[in-house]
Amino acid sequence: PAAHRAYSSGVRKVTLIPGDGIGPEISAAVQKIFTAANVPIEWETVDVTPVRGPDGKFGIPQAAIDSVNTNKIGLKGPLMTPVGKGHRSLNLALRKEFNLYANVRPCRSLEGYKTLYDDVDVVTIRENTEGEYSGIEHEIVDGVVQSIKLITEEASMRVAEYAFQYAKNNNRKKVTVVHKANIMRMSDGLFLRCARDTAQKYPEIQFEERYLDTVCLNMVQNPGKYDVLVMPNLYGDILSDMCAGLVGGLGLTPSGNMGLNGALFESVHGTAPDIAGKDLANPTALLLSAVMMLRHMELNEHANNIERAAFETIKEGKYLTGDLGGRAKCSEFTNEICAKL
Amino acid sequence: RDIPSAQYGGRHAVTMLPGGGIGPELMNYVREIFNYCGAPIDFEVIDIDPSTEGNDDLEYAITSIKRNGVALKGNIETKSQSLSETSRNVAIRNELDLYVNVVHCKSYPGIPARHKDVDVVLIRQNTDGEYAMLEHESVPGIVESMKVVTVENAERVARYAFEYARQNNRKRVTTIHKANIMKLSDGLFLEVANRVHKDYPELEHNNMIIDNTCMQAVSNPHQFDVMNMTNLYGTIVSNVICGLIGGAGLISGRNYGDHYAVFEPGTRNTGTAIAGKNVANPVAMINASIDMLNHLGHKEHANVIYEATYQTIVNDAIRTPDLGGNHSSTDVVENILKILSTKRVN
Ligand SMILES: Nc1ncnc2c1ncn2[C@@H]1O[C@H](COP(=O)(O)OP(=O)(O)OP(=O)(O)O)[C@@H](O)[C@H]1O
Ligand SMILES: Nc1ncnc2c1ncn2[C@@H]1O[C@H](COP(=O)(O)OP(=O)(O)OP(=O)(O)O)[C@@H](O)[C@H]1O
Ligand SMILES: [Mg+2]
Ligand SMILES: [Mg+2]
Repeated sequence: PAAHRAYSSGVRKVTLIPGDGIGPEISAAVQKIFTAANVPIEWETVDVTPVRGPDGKFGIPQAAIDSVNTNKIGLKGPLMTPVGKGHRSLNLALRKEFNLYANVRPCRSLEGYKTLYDDVDVVTIRENTEGEYSGIEHEIVDGVVQSIKLITEEASMRVAEYAFQYAKNNNRKKVTVVHKANIMRMSDGLFLRCARDTAQKYPEIQFEERYLDTVCLNMVQNPGKYDVLVMPNLYGDILSDMCAGLVGGLGLTPSGNMGLNGALFESVHGTAPDIAGKDLANPTALLLSAVMMLRHMELNEHANNIERAAFETIKEGKYLTGDLGGRAKCSEFTNEICAKL
Repeated sequence: RDIPSAQYGGRHAVTMLPGGGIGPELMNYVREIFNYCGAPIDFEVIDIDPSTEGNDDLEYAITSIKRNGVALKGNIETKSQSLSETSRNVAIRNELDLYVNVVHCKSYPGIPARHKDVDVVLIRQNTDGEYAMLEHESVPGIVESMKVVTVENAERVARYAFEYARQNNRKRVTTIHKANIMKLSDGLFLEVANRVHKDYPELEHNNMIIDNTCMQAVSNPHQFDVMNMTNLYGTIVSNVICGLIGGAGLISGRNYGDHYAVFEPGTRNTGTAIAGKNVANPVAMINASIDMLNHLGHKEHANVIYEATYQTIVNDAIRTPDLGGNHSSTDVVENILKILSTKRVN
């Protein structure tokens, strides 16, 4: 973050990957709102539709990679991964390309949008490069397969460090490390030790260790028990989706991917082909991801203004999209936010 | 499965492993209730000291379960920090080849909960997967942990799930996995479930990815009927769903192999923080003891204890703090005994 400070007075370039399905509509909504809020950034829109490279394999176009590498920051809508077209998930490719080592997903109950839980305010921080997603699998003998979960000190320290730094920068009180070291004594044990060691450096942040199963149990009973949670890849995948479920689903929750070569913010919902192109999509998840991005760039005032306008619009309930039980179009919801700004 | 035949006088010997935390006090309540209504069970109590490094207690416990065929169990902590020390709970399940765990998550009317009228049966692979405990540090700072999926175990648990659904008039089995990422291991688990389903054409079978499952479970748990899953996903989903319908103190869990059966609270908590305070909810362990009586064919005793417990927490609203009540553990147990005093069991 210190490195970005130098830019905060001038106009910064940000890569925009509108994505597929509803992606272009919700991206346009975010751009419109940013203009209304006079945010000093310039969008560089890129297409990541896979192209055939010199090696004959399909991959992300070089121009898109260059853009993120130069700007070091990007916002991304949902991407469709065509099934069986010979290239792997674009999301995975982006994660690899930019070394996105930590996935951050704040989950907060929204005032005015009633769900079963009105007391959720947790942030899940997920190790994003290894663990159960190592991709190392094999069949030992006929009918017996092994998958390897890979935990390294380097990646564990990196994500633990990020979690405590996040807690500090965002005035959070507590970091909980989620693990299963009673069973996976060495792998989760290593992750746990890295979190413990990092905690020593942040005496002002409270630290606790909890078993994954206990967190699942407590989270659905009393989510107020938790603040920032840090964990290996698979547990993070599961808990972040579960927490999103507590506050009404993926249409409202933002997400950020922190990398060595840059940071990429994205909405985690899919491309919603059923409503694409109909001006019906809810841009909130992408907008809140963009707000996270602004905070990451230390444009906090702009972030706060936009967030406030969005929350107020939702709370008033006059212009809600279909997924929130309203009848407004994406553009009407967007215009209302712009009007508030 | 083998059901042990009763000894002289129709009595059964059962191994009791109180475990740590709230285990011992909960076991005392069970014994009090059994004595009171004359349940024909003789417990062989074995304490496993969590602080010892050796495994003598554990070996003794396993021998006892092999002899009796049946056990009632609390959660055993493994205090040792030594990396070679494996979880004793896992060791028991593996040694006895208790390959399936069954947790029936059914709401109690009137108990404060986020969702009402949930009725889901969780069927979980109980001996391999992520709990294989095969790990090594190849290079300092780099650890590999093996997850093992075998056709044999995937098939046994899938078959159990479909068989359960058929016999209990359930409509659908949902297999839980992450085969998009773990293509071989979870892929195999799913493939086997699809194959076993062919023998049960009257049942529906669908599958769901574990992260989506958790999101669906908290927003609409009613969509699930019977669930079939690997070991780790089992612990996740059982804690989520138990949490939704009233917490760790209510629901029991059953572990079965071809020869032995072990009964315990469904979420397998130690409850260290609330031990000795007379606040732990005794119901999950009482339910486990009821499952055990049913397994051994002592239906009448099982039924009266079930009814007395149900009446206590539902009708009489004698509930511990975890269920929003202000009663102690002993208040709950005494009310159960009071109700039992009005019933006759032959
Ligand atoms: N931002 C949004 N606004 C409104 N509705 C949404 C939004 N995102 C998702 N939905 C709705 O939620 C449901 C699931 O959406 P999702 O985007 O995951 O679709 P999908 O078919 O899984 O697409 P993909 O294949 O890209 O994952 C759809 O019915 C969609 O209309
Ligand atoms: N029988 C019970 N009655 C009431 N609350 C319970 C019961 N069993 C568990 N709990 C509660 O459920 C939560 C999870 O329990 P659990 O024992 O698993 O905690 P833990 O974090 O694993 O710690 P430990 O294993 O050291 O006790 C705790 O808040 C505990 O107090
Ligand atoms: Mg996910
Ligand atoms: Mg989708």
